[in-house]
Amino acid sequence: MSIDSLISRAMRGFREELRLYVVAVTSLAVAFLCLGAALLALQNLGAVAERWGKSGHITVYLRDGLEPAEITRLAAVLEGLREVDHVRVVSSEEARAEFLARTELGEEVAELGAEVFPASIEVGIVSGVTVEAIEKLAARIGALEGVSDVESYRGWFEQLASLLSAGKVGATVIAVLVGFCVFAVVGNTVRLSIARRRREIEVMKLCGATHGFVRGPFIVEGIVQGLLASALAVAALAAAFFALRAELNSAFSIFVGTEAVFLGPGLLALLVFSGAFIGATSSTLSLRRYLEI
Amino acid sequence: MVSNRESRGGRPFAFFRAGARVGAEGAERPILAFEDVYKFFGKDQPALRGLNLTIERGEFVFLTGPSGAGKGTLLKLVYRELTVDSGRILFCGRDIARLTDRSIPFLRRNLGIVFQDFKVVPHWTVFENVAIALEILELPARLVRSRVGEALERVGLSGRGDERVGTLSGGEQQRVAVARAIVSEPALLLADEPTGNLDPTLAVDVLTLFEEIHQTGTTVLFATHDHGLIERRDHRILSLEQGRVYDVRRGLASWSSSGVHAVREARRAAG
Repeated sequence: MSIDSLISRAMRGFREELRLYVVAVTSLAVAFLCLGAALLALQNLGAVAERWGKSGHITVYLRDGLEPAEITRLAAVLEGLREVDHVRVVSSEEARAEFLARTELGEEVAELGAEVFPASIEVGIVSGVTVEAIEKLAARIGALEGVSDVESYRGWFEQLASLLSAGKVGATVIAVLVGFCVFAVVGNTVRLSIARRRREIEVMKLCGATHGFVRGPFIVEGIVQGLLASALAVAALAAAFFALRAELNSAFSIFVGTEAVFLGPGLLALLVFSGAFIGATSSTLSLRRYLEI
Repeated sequence: MVSNRESRGGRPFAFFRAGARVGAEGAERPILAFEDVYKFFGKDQPALRGLNLTIERGEFVFLTGPSGAGKGTLLKLVYRELTVDSGRILFCGRDIARLTDRSIPFLRRNLGIVFQDFKVVPHWTVFENVAIALEILELPARLVRSRVGEALERVGLSGRGDERVGTLSGGEQQRVAVARAIVSEPALLLADEPTGNLDPTLAVDVLTLFEEIHQTGTTVLFATHDHGLIERRDHRILSLEQGRVYDVRRGLASWSSSGVHAVREARRAAG
């Protein structure tokens, strides 16, 4: 089939059904925007999880009445571990002072003595150590002489992991819904277009056109619809993201420790080409029963 | 007989491809032959009942008969909108009833078809309506332009290629349909009541157009129930009734010697 003829017939189809295609592309763009936003949220949640996972730390609570020399020796032992980046000894007095500085409970807690706050060693973990490795390290440290308790913050990571997992499920559900939506909208648009162009199809078939010749422009129209809609959604998402990025970063980066990032080129390409692919598939399937003349 | 390539579901055989030359053996065969063809639309509703007829290459044949006689069914069987229930239809010696679905477009490229309701696309231009038959053949754009120009000239629509077909009169729309049917120079031109929607003057114009096309060597099978139109033409007339050919005659001879026409001619001669 001649590409020129295919393109010119598809262009003629677009011109004749311009309003229909504008409505369809707009609807599809909204659906793709939802998918893009879900992917963007998921990507940033993943970045936060990665950042937190790789910059973990452990708090080692010391047994009461431990001599300063023993504390120093324990800190030196911890600092010598392969997974440990740095250690900081926090005495009971320092722990009390930090607590009082952070709390808003007022004068009632100010009367608490230093003995209520156990001395501890804050252990910074080197970058890239997994949560599982940190957990094993915490168990090893817990067995050391002079250690009362070890907090590895595993619960935080588990909560973050479950949040991320829920986000992935949500994004998958949205992706399936968007796929279905694109499929239905492109299919219905092509079906409407076919209904209005039945005479054309009939004429072509009676002149000896193959199914491929008749189908070609409709498939091109489906591809272009999907491409335009997904590209439009990506453009709108990018515009909104870069317009709000500064505010997002100032609001959240302090808490999460990372800056918001936009979708990577691979994901953007996947989003745009999935639109084209679904458009082509939907057109092809919608045409099947209209070709028997 | 269907070739091995055809039966394997491969590329349709070359004979039916547009532009293919008919060999010496093919040239000797009738262009179209119906052999004991039956077509039913229900258990007890035969549209064609053991139809036998032959149309020679280069002939102009009228197919006539009352509504429901089977004219339309016969034509639909030729361009394979319908399939026979039994019997054979040979187009240049090939049984078209046994063509696979993939081959039907290649059969139709050897046919030009004109319908009562024109079957033109009203929002396309005259040029686009005619050019589609050549675009399907994947001819180069330059050749399409020149051949469409020639076809429009033959049907009297030269210089009107840019007009929307929906704005043309019925007669002009039918001329567009004829131009589309002949632009690919098909072996056989099928006309299914092409004058049915036209007034008598336009009907004669369109019939004359078909005769001019026939003069260039195209075989024409022209279905109509308008006896007034066909009786004064020197072509073979096949009359169908209840799915069978019940009369075969030549138009001009039968018209001039038949009772009512003979009386009318005699009165005219008497002054």
